[in-house]
Amino acid sequence: MGKHGRVLGIGPTDNTSDQRTPRQPLRLIPEVARSSFVPVVPARYVTNPHEWDMTRTAPDRPRADGVPIEVTGRVCTASGRPVPNALLEIWSANLYGRYRHIEDHSGLRLDENHLGMGRVLTDDEGRYRFWAISPGAYLARPDIGRWRPKHIHMSISGGASRMITQMYFPDEPNNASDPMAILMGDAFERNIGKPRDPGGTDVEEGYDFDIVIGGRNATFFE
Amino acid sequence: MSELTSNLLPATNEDTCGPYFPIYFADPALEDLTRFDPGVVGQAAGTPIILRGRVLDRHGDLANGALLEFWQANAKGVYRTPATEGEDDVDPWFHGYGRLRTASGAYGYRTILPGAAPGRAPNITLTIFSDGINRIVTQIFFEGQTGNDTDPVLLSVGAEAPKLIAKHDGRTAGGCEVYLFDVVMAGPGETPFFDDLES
Repeated sequence: MGKHGRVLGIGPTDNTSDQRTPRQPLRLIPEVARSSFVPVVPARYVTNPHEWDMTRTAPDRPRADGVPIEVTGRVCTASGRPVPNALLEIWSANLYGRYRHIEDHSGLRLDENHLGMGRVLTDDEGRYRFWAISPGAYLARPDIGRWRPKHIHMSISGGASRMITQMYFPDEPNNASDPMAILMGDAFERNIGKPRDPGGTDVEEGYDFDIVIGGRNATFFE
Repeated sequence: MSELTSNLLPATNEDTCGPYFPIYFADPALEDLTRFDPGVVGQAAGTPIILRGRVLDRHGDLANGALLEFWQANAKGVYRTPATEGEDDVDPWFHGYGRLRTASGAYGYRTILPGAAPGRAPNITLTIFSDGINRIVTQIFFEGQTGNDTDPVLLSVGAEAPKLIAKHDGRTAGGCEVYLFDVVMAGPGETPFFDDLES
């Protein structure tokens, strides 16, 4: 059989990771079958044009609690080619660490002005922009006192490029103990948004977060 | 392909989707590739099927909240990609990409039976995102298809090939042939998963 692929790491202190991470080394895809493993997502569209502003539930509603931020960046492949018209699906907790999701049973406080879900498309240069509330950290493992650092989830799909990732925030005390950050090692840096001046926009903080889709998410149909 | 010896940009790390991938992002058109909006005339060519099964963890428990993505060729074995654009055998009513989130860990996905691409047996690529993992990928084959015996992916897993073959459950439902395919993410009976990096 020859060489195997990677052995996936199990996130320390992450029970779900222990339950769901394959134990066998990944198999290498036979060369003749490689392209068949690369989905090409049909062109997507944004249904609700106000979703880029996740600091409110609708344009005529008040701001949610917390610090409004702007996140901007560029989606490209490892060779630097922009990924245009890619759909970003974004979700994050509110200021109190609660998701507006029917399966979040944490009991943390809901905010009636916070939905925490939005979608935007990248432009011709692969650029995107959205507003959000800077999310709260939350206690993920009360039994051992492990917190999840504040983070924003992003799912990116465009053509043959596909990735689900999270943007973290610099200098957060819980970054170092996060199971997935531990698995990323030094490369965790790449997943931290870079603070920048928000300029004249109606937010308090700005972050740049460029997304490079490469490695095993390689784009085969550039 | 090491980053030290190439000009490639360092890739952003994948990360888990966590337990709360928004149900709000569901798209019914991606959960049933045979579906058409009311009043629209059109039909994907081929045999409609329902692929049903469970996603299980290493204790045999259902993997709740998993996000499943599917990718396949049309009934003539042609993938809709930039490489096949304009070809006669591209089905204008079938793009081949599906996605659903299963709340419980059990799933049902309606599509058409894929045709055989050159040198391959009919198959559907399955990508799973869930809490605790980044992504895992495999291919699903179909019981009784000619080509299963010589498919390079099935051959590559040797004696584990039956774990990648969906079984016909002997009946039809709503005009669809029903196939059963369970995924075992980890532990005893673990499904073979694939990696496209030599590492």
